[in-house]
Amino acid sequence: MVVLRAGLCPGLTEDMIQLLRANGIRTVVDFVSSDLEDVAQKCSLSYKALVAVRRVLLAQFSAFPANGADLYEELKSSTAILPTGSPSLDQLLDSGLYTGEVTELMGAPGSGKTQVCLGIAASVSLGLKQHVLFLDSTGGFTASRLYQMLQAQTEDEEEQLEALQRIQVVRVFNIYELLSALQELRDRLSQQVVSSMGPLKLVVLDSVSAVIYPLLGGRQSEGLALMMQLSRELKTLAREFSLAVVPTGIQVELDIGNGDVLEPSLVTPTQGL
Amino acid sequence: LSRCRCIPAMQRELGTLPLAPALRARLAAAGFQTAQELLDTGPCGLSKEIGISREEALEALQVVRQECDGNAARPAGGPGATRKFTALELLEEEQTQGFIITFCSALDNILGGGVQLTKITEICGAPGVGKTQLCMQLAVDVQIPECFGGVAGEAVFIDTEGSFMVDRVVDIAAACVQHCHLIAEAQQEEDHQKALETFSLENILSHIYYFRCRDYTELLAQVYLLPEFLAEHSKVRLVVIDGIAFPFRHDFEDLSLRTRLLNGLAQQLIIIANDHKAAVVLTNQMTTRIGQSQSTLVPALGESWGHAATVRLILHWDNRLEPSKNCEILFVAMRSSLFPGSFLPSLYHKVISLSCSVKCVLYIMSPCSTLRLKSHAVIP
Repeated sequence: MVVLRAGLCPGLTEDMIQLLRANGIRTVVDFVSSDLEDVAQKCSLSYKALVAVRRVLLAQFSAFPANGADLYEELKSSTAILPTGSPSLDQLLDSGLYTGEVTELMGAPGSGKTQVCLGIAASVSLGLKQHVLFLDSTGGFTASRLYQMLQAQTEDEEEQLEALQRIQVVRVFNIYELLSALQELRDRLSQQVVSSMGPLKLVVLDSVSAVIYPLLGGRQSEGLALMMQLSRELKTLAREFSLAVVPTGIQVELDIGNGDVLEPSLVTPTQGL
Repeated sequence: LSRCRCIPAMQRELGTLPLAPALRARLAAAGFQTAQELLDTGPCGLSKEIGISREEALEALQVVRQECDGNAARPAGGPGATRKFTALELLEEEQTQGFIITFCSALDNILGGGVQLTKITEICGAPGVGKTQLCMQLAVDVQIPECFGGVAGEAVFIDTEGSFMVDRVVDIAAACVQHCHLIAEAQQEEDHQKALETFSLENILSHIYYFRCRDYTELLAQVYLLPEFLAEHSKVRLVVIDGIAFPFRHDFEDLSLRTRLLNGLAQQLIIIANDHKAAVVLTNQMTTRIGQSQSTLVPALGESWGHAATVRLILHWDNRLEPSKNCEILFVAMRSSLFPGSFLPSLYHKVISLSCSVKCVLYIMSPCSTLRLKSHAVIP
């Protein structure tokens, strides 16, 4: 719902906007979906000018259709499969974590989610020599444990240290900090700054529920809205920059009716990611 | 081909910024989507378009500008600055960090050296098993000078159950001072003598900051004010909350509110632990989970709370081993980042059986497997 502003496209002047607003047309959607002849009469604007503006707006704001075959080719060339370091887990995931996808790890407390995340980070950093971003929201990231895992996989000390340097850890303890960190990541990747960051392939988020849980329930639906924002951000990051994104969480039953969180059960995962 | 638009920080959606819900609803109704649009309008235009006062508009714009300018504007190293590190830097930090020893070598072993700083440790157990005693011991042990292997810190003790007994702390402190004197005599080093001058009973007691909270509101308020307190007392290295379950278990009708409050509390505590390099120790009660054929004793406060702590210790009486005059205490570390060996969830279980002056059996348990005795060692 983009609001019409002067300079949004050539031909859209401030006077035009005031006239349109006086007749109830405030946003791009309003403009594009209205009957231009009618508008031209009511606002006493030139019909040709309005049509020209509409054409430009449509070109600017609509999405391009894509050919299925092109999409498939692009997918084949840009998707990488990252081994998780555990052969049985790889088998379960059909040979590993796919970039461009969000793979969520769910489990009860103490079941090993952080351990699996550390293992995946170690495997990608050491085995594939790719960079890893580890977003830690529980304080559960223990570098000594990661070091133990690396030591088990290789004896070469230099390789171990290099692998450690390729894993960047960002501690985010509430939802806004997390969203800021993701925005920063997006900026960095889209500007393609060649920094110490290097080629990033994996983003681990441990855990999502720690930052979302304090907001769920009660009468405000803010928690659900933020959760949806977060999930959309993770999915678009994964797709646009060919990353494998791994959030972890706990299974929770949400009563969507009044937004209450029921006692978590181990039966069905219902968290919306 | 999908269009990959380069989106600078200004294109950040308003939904991701910390604005009040009412304000956000008005902005959405008026058609604002990104931060850039908001900043373009300016405070006067904004207040006119969505019908708020100019001061409110200025405030909102300031919040937006602060968030979008990001970390360049924030002072480095202060609380709230990004906590960005490479794993190598964190490893170096962890290796130089000390532990708070518990004076029970078996427990210290299972914890990998002692209670870790910057992490939350939860101690669960049946009533009378020794949770408060362990907390009082830790409040004394955190003050042990560095030359004796301690972290030379101070302690904050938040008591919700009223089980803190000063005379017991005096006993513990006196024994600790005595222990350090013996070490100093055996080793005869200069810094030991100097440290012992300040490590006295009065000093130990005066560096335990005691707070008594009677209900959950007081507890939440206390934790909320804690960062300010810790900023003034920067030597605090331990925060104990003895009885996190008690204020939340009785008299709470709205369970979803309880979950929300507890999770918010957990996040606040982890921020405190991280920013002030302190260990946070919580004690929890046990409750019975009634299953289909049997009932088990599990930590209270529900499963979502289980994720709050980094390390969880469960203590209970063991009546299975041979009856003896010494009591047996089982330590169960339910989750810890320190397991050596394979990290696959279904496979790790090690049973270590040790005995010390109080006979104890320790085992690390995973939820879905059977227990198998793997190694057996006796420490006198």
